[in-house]
Amino acid sequence: MLSYGQVMRKKLLLLAAVLLLPLLAGCGLKIPADPDGTLERVAGGTLKAGISYNPSWTEAGSGGDPAGTEVQLVRQFAAEQNASVEWVSGGESDLIRQLERGELDLVVGGLTKDSPWSKHAALTQPYLETTNAQGDKEQHVMAAPMGENAFLFELEKFLLNLEALK
Amino acid sequence: MTARFGRAELPEDLERVLHKAVRIQWITIGALAVTVTMVFLAMGNSQAMKAAWIEDMLSFAPPIAFLVAVRMVNKPPSEGYPYGYHRATGVGHLVAAVALCAMGLFLLIDSGMGLLKGEHPPIGSVQLFGQTIWLGWIMMAVMAVTSIPPVILGRIKIKLAKELHNKVLYADADMNKADWMTAVGTILGVAGIGIGLWWADAAAALFIAASILRDGYKNMRGAITDLMDTRAMTFDDREPHPLIGKINEHLRSLPWVKEAGSRVRDQGHVFHVEAFVVPRGPMPPLEAFEEARDGCIDLDWKVQDVVVVPVPELPTEAGGQRQHQSERNL
Repeated sequence: MLSYGQVMRKKLLLLAAVLLLPLLAGCGLKIPADPDGTLERVAGGTLKAGISYNPSWTEAGSGGDPAGTEVQLVRQFAAEQNASVEWVSGGESDLIRQLERGELDLVVGGLTKDSPWSKHAALTQPYLETTNAQGDKEQHVMAAPMGENAFLFELEKFLLNLEALK
Repeated sequence: MTARFGRAELPEDLERVLHKAVRIQWITIGALAVTVTMVFLAMGNSQAMKAAWIEDMLSFAPPIAFLVAVRMVNKPPSEGYPYGYHRATGVGHLVAAVALCAMGLFLLIDSGMGLLKGEHPPIGSVQLFGQTIWLGWIMMAVMAVTSIPPVILGRIKIKLAKELHNKVLYADADMNKADWMTAVGTILGVAGIGIGLWWADAAAALFIAASILRDGYKNMRGAITDLMDTRAMTFDDREPHPLIGKINEHLRSLPWVKEAGSRVRDQGHVFHVEAFVVPRGPMPPLEAFEEARDGCIDLDWKVQDVVVVPVPELPTEAGGQRQHQSERNL
């Protein structure tokens, strides 16, 4: 049985631990961080982007190079991270599986918020809302690896602060 | 209107306590409504937040059970319900406890599976005041803020539960008081994700699930033993209620009583007393029994429903020596 004093001391210790967290963040510990270090690998290196063709978001441009709105966005994001983009094309499910295995850093292909991949990939916040031919609203997202929160956060920060899309 | 527990009219000061308890429970429900909304909005993909949210949702049950029971037990006994409606409290208690157990078990399995499968919870960002903020910070802030009211309410409720002898209120208060642990657990889990420990979230959820299950088990045991008519215990189930001794003592002090012992069961707020007395010499007149009963009733407001039974020898369960049961003489 703990005495009242001991219990109070325990409570205070926990409180101190909680209050210390922002301090830790202040001195170099980056919050959020990636368990598998995706952002660190990408920054100044290569961004491996999966692309599933879905014009006009993602399409084959002249000379076979990827083109489209989302391709432009990925290039711009990579440039901000001083990274070069390595494109891997394929079907959505195949690309998502590669994303899960850590072989890709993100997947684009005109994905929307209600895509069935939310259990397998971290979908970003919708960065753009459009209306399709049937009159349904579509909220566009990209897919990042699960739990790579520093990378996800950087990507969302980039997408949500795009002046051109507002 | 006078507040009643069935036939038992509450003394004036306890009536005030009851009104205060009702008010506190309404405040609890209000605070919970704000809490579940805030936690839901900040929940994201954190398993620990999900567990904390479910715990908050379940916390609605005890105050609602209390408020419903207070209305129910107000009714006096009738032909159809000759013991009154006191057991409504016990039934509410049991239902809430089973719900706690079920949710605790579900969360334990759900979080355990997440941990085994190595699920990495993604927590992204929110746009707030034109800033992009990591959602984890919002989660931790919400948990820190919402952890405070239950602790304060819990402390107030424990005192009221003792005065009213209400076990549902006590169980509720006990859970509220421990709520800060859920909050700290969740904060540590989310902070763990923040520094790149993907398992911290599921581990925190497991801890919360275990605490829900523990609450559920404790309450279920209490509710079941009460419905099984265990002897009346104090409001926190720590020891036999001192009133049992006082009743026996009072009866033994009567000049015509040789021996006395009683079975006392807790009906919710009030006790149902079957007192067995062994008369000294010849059978006393009816008035003596009536007087004995009134004497017991005057001991405490909880004692209203008393039967005094003359027996040649005390039954064993009421402190007798020989194998005489109260139901049947062998």
